[in-house]
Amino acid sequence: MAFMESELPTFKEKNPQLEVVTELIRGQHPHLKGFYKNKNERVVCVKNMTPEDILLYATRLRNALGRKVVKLRTRHVTKHPSVQGTWTTDVKF
Amino acid sequence: MAHRRCLHSALLHATALISLKKSPSLSIVKALTSKPNPGITTSNLEPSWFIPWSYIRHFSSRKSDDSENEAEMEESSDGEGESDEMASDMVRDYSPEEKEAEAAAIGYKVVGPLQRSDRVFKDYEPVFAVVQIGSHQFKVSNGDSIFTERLKFCEVNDKLILNKVLLLGSPTQTIIGRPILPDAAVHAVVEEHALDAKVIIFKKKRRKNYRRTKGHRQELTKLRITAIQGIEKPEIKTDGKPLKAAVKKPEKIAATA
Repeated sequence: MAFMESELPTFKEKNPQLEVVTELIRGQHPHLKGFYKNKNERVVCVKNMTPEDILLYATRLRNALGRKVVKLRTRHVTKHPSVQGTWTTDVKF
Repeated sequence: MAHRRCLHSALLHATALISLKKSPSLSIVKALTSKPNPGITTSNLEPSWFIPWSYIRHFSSRKSDDSENEAEMEESSDGEGESDEMASDMVRDYSPEEKEAEAAAIGYKVVGPLQRSDRVFKDYEPVFAVVQIGSHQFKVSNGDSIFTERLKFCEVNDKLILNKVLLLGSPTQTIIGRPILPDAAVHAVVEEHALDAKVIIFKKKRRKNYRRTKGHRQELTKLRITAIQGIEKPEIKTDGKPLKAAVKKPEKIAATA
């Protein structure tokens, strides 16, 4: 509630590209739901959290793409791994 | 009688405090002088004083020891306080833009302005660069994605210029830096700041009843490389193996020299 009064308006203004919708759902814990362009939904339960923590989670949802959270295979994702030709044992300089 | 002695020794300790730490001790002194009953504790350091007060009855010989002990304890608590303050300073202190620029220089990136409707994503060019961010080095080409540690001072959809470039290469030419190339620049855009998957750190010592479980999520930044500058880019892609022989010679010379 305090988050909705104090921090949500500033969050809305900082992110004009986001559509922020508030709903009152009775009987459920309060949660943040993020809808991503790859049709992925990320739900974060914010029960018993301070407004600062809720803002932190909201910014995390905003910063992230909707990728599935799996362990990374490589830190470098490329489609063209070689520019000068892949080295093999036959290549002579 | 005991109260007077306690107050007197407490004042002595307060004077010892003042020499070490300035502003909080004043409030403590005020609390002491206002409240004749030292049993009421308001500040954090007072409980630590209660321990050596058992020695107060042995007056003259133990005073110096008490003050020394208290000095050590206060210094340790001062150290913790300072580290806490430093941690909070790390979070909040970077408002001046100069400091941001310095910190960015440490991480080998310069933040450019945000961009909208800017055609930054070009087609693939056969040029690569070896760039260093923090302590990690990546071989990077146009259109690649890189996952690095969380970069401060940049938000999503920011343009970055990575200025620590160690090597530039194309099918026809290779430029090696010693150790960095001053005129080279690699442009990148921040795609996301996200958390890695959770890693569970499990510690166990067998037969010793010791088991600890800790979860850790590393904060990462995904960068997309948009442009590499500082090398001539060949327009014809048919450059093949015979030219590579001429190219690799400067590498060898540089390696031996």
